Amino acid sequence: MRPGLHIRNLGGAHAAILHRPHAVVQSLARQLTAIGLEVSTHWPDLGADAFNADFIFFDVDMGHDAQFPWPPGEAPMPTVALIGSEAPGRIEWALAMGAHAQLVKPIGDSGVYSALLIAREAFYARRALSDEIKSLRERLDERKTVVRAVTFLAARGMSEAEAYSQIQRMAMNWRVSFEAAARRIVARYAEEDGKDGDERSHGR
Amino acid sequence: MAIGPRIQFAKRGQDRGLSVLGARLAKRRIEIGLLYSRSGTYTLIAEACRTGALSAIAEINADPDCDVTFIPVERDPGGNIDHYGPLCEEILSQTSARHIIGCVTSWSRKEVIPVLERSGGTLWYTVPYEGFEASDHVVYTHACPNQHLIPLLDWALSRHGRRVYLTGSNYIWGWEMNRLTREIVSGAGGEILGERYLPIGGLEIGRIVDEIEATRPDFVMNSLIGASQYQFIAALRDLGLSDERFAPENCPVLSCNLTECELPALGAAGEGLVAAGPYFRGSTSWPGGGSFGSSHEAATAAAVHALARLLAGRPGAEYESLSSLLASPTAGACNIDPKTHHSTLPVLIARVQSGQFRIIEECGLVAGDPYLTRDRSQATAPEGRTLRVVK
Repeated sequence: MRPGLHIRNLGGAHAAILHRPHAVVQSLARQLTAIGLEVSTHWPDLGADAFNADFIFFDVDMGHDAQFPWPPGEAPMPTVALIGSEAPGRIEWALAMGAHAQLVKPIGDSGVYSALLIAREAFYARRALSDEIKSLRERLDERKTVVRAVTFLAARGMSEAEAYSQIQRMAMNWRVSFEAAARRIVARYAEEDGKDGDERSHGR
Repeated sequence: MAIGPRIQFAKRGQDRGLSVLGARLAKRRIEIGLLYSRSGTYTLIAEACRTGALSAIAEINADPDCDVTFIPVERDPGGNIDHYGPLCEEILSQTSARHIIGCVTSWSRKEVIPVLERSGGTLWYTVPYEGFEASDHVVYTHACPNQHLIPLLDWALSRHGRRVYLTGSNYIWGWEMNRLTREIVSGAGGEILGERYLPIGGLEIGRIVDEIEATRPDFVMNSLIGASQYQFIAALRDLGLSDERFAPENCPVLSCNLTECELPALGAAGEGLVAAGPYFRGSTSWPGGGSFGSSHEAATAAAVHALARLLAGRPGAEYESLSSLLASPTAGACNIDPKTHHSTLPVLIARVQSGQFRIIEECGLVAGDPYLTRDRSQATAPEGRTLRVVK
């Protein structure tokens, strides 16, 4: 079962607002404070302190890449776009910044709580996906290694299925991934075969 | 009926223009809205709130040291959800009232908030609710979950067990109360045996009772309202009479919104019910003292008194925004957190015995924490929390 929203640890979380001084900042800060968060406001840019924030609310109307201490789309925390002008170019920029949720200005009496929860879920979902993609890529890159390891083992009399289960067993014994076990096998047998080759050439 | 002055206005007669000959303080006539359904399924609660409002208004109006006379402007949505928004609008546009005391269901409160936002009005909401709201246009004078559900579950989980059945009326109150209960019970290693809802006013409780009989829970968390609740409690009483396993001492029914105002509708079936609330008849811990028919009445009277305190001695204050009123010097004594607009209230657990609530646990004064973000020890540790006992 999918775990419930972990809403309680919002208490004492730090939200940084990147917006020029404006009524929007007040309404936003009021709601955040009522929910139980600490609020800091920033303009014209975020500064390195922002790395300590748990949430970033950023203005889209006057926003640009250089306001952030990280590259576009790489914020290490959930971010919420504050959208005034719904011009496609601005929305495109907000998306490029990797916004996890949005609030449309003016900010009224509600909306911040759901933006916090949605942004946080989206942030963790996106991070879990990119971790998974990274690990799948690594495994994909190791396909050749696995084929070589099976070939080495087959050359020593094992069937293909036996070779696979041998690698699996080694991975378990060594407590490493299947691909890492295959890498070790390749390294070992490539060396042995290399020596064999040398000896043979001597014998001739 | 409320007795005794709960607000002591400083005797500053001359400052306020009171004549040395002893003439009464000139009173400002200020209209306030009352928005209660006088018919429909939850009318007993609405009537209790209305009684609290009218008796507090009478007290303010009779107080020679308070320069405010409240003129109630009443509208009756008749239990029809679609009438709340328009009638709230009507009060704010056709009268001079900026403050409205009213609404019983969360559904109706959510209907009036957009109207309040547009017109700059304020709702004083005086019944228990499910939390997760802190509108800039609403003051919440009754309990939210850290003041009712969480302490009630603390009590039940440690005394009755962790196998729980959930029921409720099919709207936000029932849904959110049961979601929270599920989270807390699961966190305590317990089990939810079933969860069923009835439409507001629905009476088809047979399936719920059958499931309770089949699953044999340690207690039942009941967030039904109105007629559905009365029907359900009567049926469970019958079940308990035919099988002791379901008698109140073995399988109590818990509620976070049941007060004295609904006991007449339950009759003998109410015996053994356990409820959490900030006030029960005879309790002495209510902020400012006083004696009321129920916590619904007490919390509504408290709203009227707090409003009077915010407006007294400051002509024109009746047109200020709520945030500005709560920033005024008198606001500190009103027991309302200016950040969340929620109140600090006693937390009591009581059981119906011989037709009356008897307090079985006092958990002290607790500040409203609508988002459950402030007091983590209380919010996340349903077991082992130290209870403070107050006089």
